[in-house]
Parts: sequence; structure tokens; C-alpha cells
Amino acid sequence: MLIKIQNLKKQYGEEELITKVLHGLSFTINQGEFISIMGPSGSGKSTLMHILGLLDRLTKGQYEFEGQDVSKLDDNQLAKLRNEKIGFVFQAFHLLPKTTVLENVMLPLAYSSDKKNHIAKAKKILESVDLGHRLNYYSNQISGGEKQRVAIARALVNNPSVIFADEPTGNLDSKSGKQVMELLQNLNDQGNTIILVTHETQTAEHANRIIQLKDGLIVNDSSVKNKRIAKNEKILVK
Amino acid sequence: MNEILKTISIALKAMKKNKIRTSLTILGMVIGVASVIIVFSAGAGIESLIVSQIQSFGTDIIQTEIKIPSNKKGSDNSLGIVQGVQITSLNLDDLKDLNKLANIQNTYAGILGQEQLNYKNETKATTLMGVTASFIDIDKSEIDIGRFFTDAEDKSLAKVIILGNKIKNELFGNSDALGKFVKLNKTNYQIIGIMKERGAMLGMDFDEYAYIPLRTIQKRIMGVDHILYMTHGIYNTEIAENTAEEIREILRDNHNINNPDKDAALDDFRVTTMKEMMDMMGTITKYITLLLLAIIIISLIVGGVGVMNIMYVIVSERTSEIGLRKALGANKSNIMLQFLIESILVTFLSALLGIILGVIMSYLISIIATMNGFKEWEFIIPIKAYITAFLFSIISGLLFGVYPARKAAKLDPITALRK
Ligand SMILES: Nc1ncnc2c1ncn2[C@@H]1O[C@H](COP(=O)(O)OP(=O)(O)OP(=O)(O)O)[C@@H](O)[C@H]1O
Ligand SMILES: [Mg+2]
Repeated sequence: MLIKIQNLKKQYGEEELITKVLHGLSFTINQGEFISIMGPSGSGKSTLMHILGLLDRLTKGQYEFEGQDVSKLDDNQLAKLRNEKIGFVFQAFHLLPKTTVLENVMLPLAYSSDKKNHIAKAKKILESVDLGHRLNYYSNQISGGEKQRVAIARALVNNPSVIFADEPTGNLDSKSGKQVMELLQNLNDQGNTIILVTHETQTAEHANRIIQLKDGLIVNDSSVKNKRIAKNEKILVK
Repeated sequence: MNEILKTISIALKAMKKNKIRTSLTILGMVIGVASVIIVFSAGAGIESLIVSQIQSFGTDIIQTEIKIPSNKKGSDNSLGIVQGVQITSLNLDDLKDLNKLANIQNTYAGILGQEQLNYKNETKATTLMGVTASFIDIDKSEIDIGRFFTDAEDKSLAKVIILGNKIKNELFGNSDALGKFVKLNKTNYQIIGIMKERGAMLGMDFDEYAYIPLRTIQKRIMGVDHILYMTHGIYNTEIAENTAEEIREILRDNHNINNPDKDAALDDFRVTTMKEMMDMMGTITKYITLLLLAIIIISLIVGGVGVMNIMYVIVSERTSEIGLRKALGANKSNIMLQFLIESILVTFLSALLGIILGVIMSYLISIIATMNGFKEWEFIIPIKAYITAFLFSIISGLLFGVYPARKAAKLDPITALRK
């Protein structure tokens, strides 16, 4: 079991200004799953992802990551876990400006205890997402779809246990979006656990399982019957 | 160690990406640090200049000169010229008494006058030095052509004159001056010697002086009996202080000054050894250096606040970067270190550039000084200048960088990423 949450609650703010966002969620996620978290805007998808991704702490309930109660970990330990076990892909890409593709992908390695072969590792990952020809391009010199693939390469570079992707196609045209989804799907086929946040049914159906949120509660949690397979001219992951 | 190197490279990259802003940020610091170097170097240069100039007067002399006595310390006037008061108590009788002191080898007396020298149609306003004949033995000035006057000529009020190098050139050009007559107060004085070129020192241009016998100027030109100063050549510089004290006692006795506490303010004269003179000049340059440094420290602090300002701007500009770094596994100290090192690098770089600039400027100043007659101005950068510059840069980098860095480290990754 990779992730187990029980009666997870989250509220922001204090006293009169409290916003209750998540009202008690429970589920487990296993290694190798491809899960979509769906729901309307404001339903708490990103909030849930931030908690699962150890970027934020829950208010009440239990969260075990790889069998470890994360409420017992301090900020530094959480940072270490994020670095080693978790990869993030954001809607807004969040690449460092005026920095090359290669350097962007190397960024997580700068904080890892692994001191060797940073360049070789980053290169290899970039080649696997078909960006071997863009290594020394600056992050503002590549297309949106390429940016998101750089972000995916960055998420992968430390060989994490799980990849969180919050609306990864939200800023992309449909063709690049398709490429990104195909890439994620291939990664899942190779055994990577992927947790995708989206509010588009079409995108969500690339997953094997969909968790539906509404107003901070799970309204549905079921496997996908007609799983969509993204198809493109090229196979991106070799 | 590896962490720090990595962080330095991150910070260096960030600085390289913002070249213009980085250079504007460091400009204040660079100028401040350059000023530190210049002040230290100029201080050392001036000191070397003063020391060598004082030494060129000879260290084996003691100077006695008149001054207005005063009850308030420190308000005494040099040479008694101010306020129209003239001290006339110092005279040749004092000289005779002082020459009896064991450590005094010889003494010459002097008085100054401003007179016009005429030769044919040429007129030259000149500082006349009326001195006794032993001047040429005690003073460092030397005769170029001809001779100095003798004691006998002094006593007989001889109308002879020795010209400084510049005066000779201005009145006679290249033609021979020796033996010719110049007019002084409508009276002819025969030129018996020309002084060797000596140059200017401590504001006095020796080559602009003309020398005539003391008694001649006293009796024939100024109509006075007193002198302005005496210069004593001494045998043993080790006991110069004692000799100076003996001089003071004799003069107090001669001038009927009741001064049991030996309060120099009450005296109508001042006795200075060369060592005192150098100490005094050294103290003056030290205080000037300190004063300038204090001003510069203020400008450096302003520069440091500028760095802090920019660091705050950088932090708020990079909130999403900070959020991203945290999401990717950076902890608080990674972020803190990144921004601290960045600000230290900024100030360190400023120090480096400031030192280079300061050294170049100091070198130019020394060249300009030497070209303008201050030949003994040495180009020195004291080690303490470098140390001050580097220490200050690193301390201010830490001091002014710590708050922005703390702000960065405390940022919540989620709010930082949501931007
Ligand atoms: N830091 C915060 N302080 C207060 N309220 C917050 C904070 N962050 C999120 N919220 C609130 O929590 C609720 C859920 O936000 P969240 O971003 O998780 O929604 P979402 O499902 O991801 O929406 P979207 O599809 O628009 O991205 C929203 O009402 C939001 O206003
Ligand atoms: Mg969201």
C-alpha cells in the first residue's frame, strides 16, 4: 500500500475565518495505480493533492505514506520524502526562467543525497520523453507541450514512488495535451503510480480509477470501464 | 561542503541572469569599498610624504619659535602673527645662552620679511629670510654657485644676498647673476650666491626664498631687534626631549615667565623636537583617516541597505521559484542558505570590484601627487584596508541578507506555488 488516508479533514484559517475544505475522506492507493481525482472547481482537488503530496498538513484524520504516519514527521523530513518519493507536475509548468531544460530537470537532484551523475541522469530522462534535442534550450524557448514534458522529466528524475499531476493539460492545446496524457499513460504502463487531478471527464478517463469530489466529500470512487488510450504518431516512452 | 558549493553555483547562476540589476545593486557597495581603499592608501601616502619631508629637515634639530602665550590651552597662535600681536621677546641673547647647552652643537636664528626685489625692469615679490651665518651649516639647503655670507658680514650689516633658484631664473633667466646687484628697498644688494634647487615642502617653496644676513634685515629693513625662530643642531637625538626642556627653562628665565607648572600655554615660545613633529603629523593623519572612514562606513551601510532592499525584491519575485524548490525537496536551510549566499556573494563581489577600483584610483592619486611636486608620496595600500573591505563586505552580506533569506525560507510552498 502506497497511500492510506482515513477520515482526512482540512480547513484553512483560524476562528471566524475558517474555511472547511475537506470533510473526512478515506481511501487507499496502491503502487502502480493510475488515479484521476475529479470534481468541480473549488471542490478541494488541489487541496487534497497538496496534502497527499506532503506539501501541506491535514487538520484531522490519518495519513500513512508507504506505511509511515506522516503527521509525526517534521518539515525537513517531509522535504526529504518529497524529494525522494514524490514527483510533481503542475498546470503552470513551474520551470525556472532563464534556465536550460537540462538544468531544470537537474533541480531535484540538487537537494538529493545522491551526489553523482546528475547530468547523465537528467539527460537520460529527457531523452526518454523525447527531448534529447532540447537539452540546452532555455525554458522560454520551448513550446507548452515541451515545457510540460520537461516538468514530467523533472518529476521523474529522482525515480519517485508516485507522480502527482494537477491539471497537467490545463494550459495545453489538445494535441500537446494528448501527448502529455500518452506520456503519463506509458509511465503508468511501466509501473509508475500516477495521481492526476482534473475536472475534464475525457482526461480523467485515461486513468484506471476515478475519485470524484464534491464540496469536500467523495461522491464516487470507482474503476474506469472504458479506459481511454491516448494514441499518437510517436511512442514517447522507450 | 558540497551543499554550499551547490548553493553558490545556484546563486551565481541567479546573479548572472540579472546582470543589470546585480550591477546596480552592488554599485553603492563598490564605491563604498573603493573609498575605504582610497582613504587608507591616501592616509598612508600623506603620512609617508610628511615623514619624509620632516626627515628632510633633519632629525637632529630642535625648533624654537615665538608664539602668543595664552591661558587657554590649544588656542595659541603660531608665530604670533594673528591678531596683530607681535612677540618680540626672542632675540640673539637667547641664542647665545642656548648655545651653551651641552647637547646643542650650533644654532641659527631667523626672521621673515616680504619685500620686492628689483633687477633692471624685473620685479619679484620675495620672501626674505634673514638668518645668521650658521644657517648654511644646520639647514639642509645647499649653495649651488658662489657662497653663503659669513658671520662677519652678518655682524657688519653687509648688503649681500643669496637667491633661491626660482628667483634667480625669474630675474636673470639663463644669464649670470653672481656679483650682480639687485635692489631691495631702493638699496643695492650684491648677489654672492645662488641656492641649489630644493623644491617645495610642507607648503614652503624654498626656491622662492632669498637669504640676507639676520642683522642686515633687522637693522636696515625691518628696524627690529627680535627674531622669529631658532633652529638648533644637536649632537644626540636620543636626549632631544631633555634638551628641549632645558631650552624652555632658559627661555622662561630669560623672558621672566613665571611658570612653575611648566604649562606650555603660558610660554611666549614653543620648542619642538623633530620626533614630536612627526608624532603630531602622524596623529593628525590618523584622525583625518578615521574621520573619513566613519563617513565611508555610513555610505557602506547605505549600500548594505540597498543590498537588503534588492534581496527583498528578489525574494518576492521568486516566491514561485521558492515554492517549487520546496516542492522538489528543498528544506528551510537550503532556501535560507541560497539567499544568504546570494547576498554574501553580492557584497563579496562588490568588495572585490571596489578593491580593484580603489587600488587603481589610489595608484592614480599617487601618480598625480608625485607629478605635482609631492615626490615622496608613496603608493601604499595597507593590509588593513583589504581586511576592512572584505570583513565589511561579508558582515554586511550576512547582516543585510539574513532577513530577506529568513523571509524566503519561511514561505509556505503552497501559497508560493499558487501565485
Ligand atoms: N490557503 C487557503 N486559505 C483559505 N482557503 C483556501 C486556501 N486554499 C484553498 N482554499 C479554498 O479551498 C477550496 C478548495 O480549493 P482547491 O484549490 O483545493 O480547489 P480545486 O478543486 O483544486 O479547484 P480548481 O478546480 O479551481 O483548481 C476553495 O474554496 C478555496 O477557496
Ligand atoms: Mg486546483
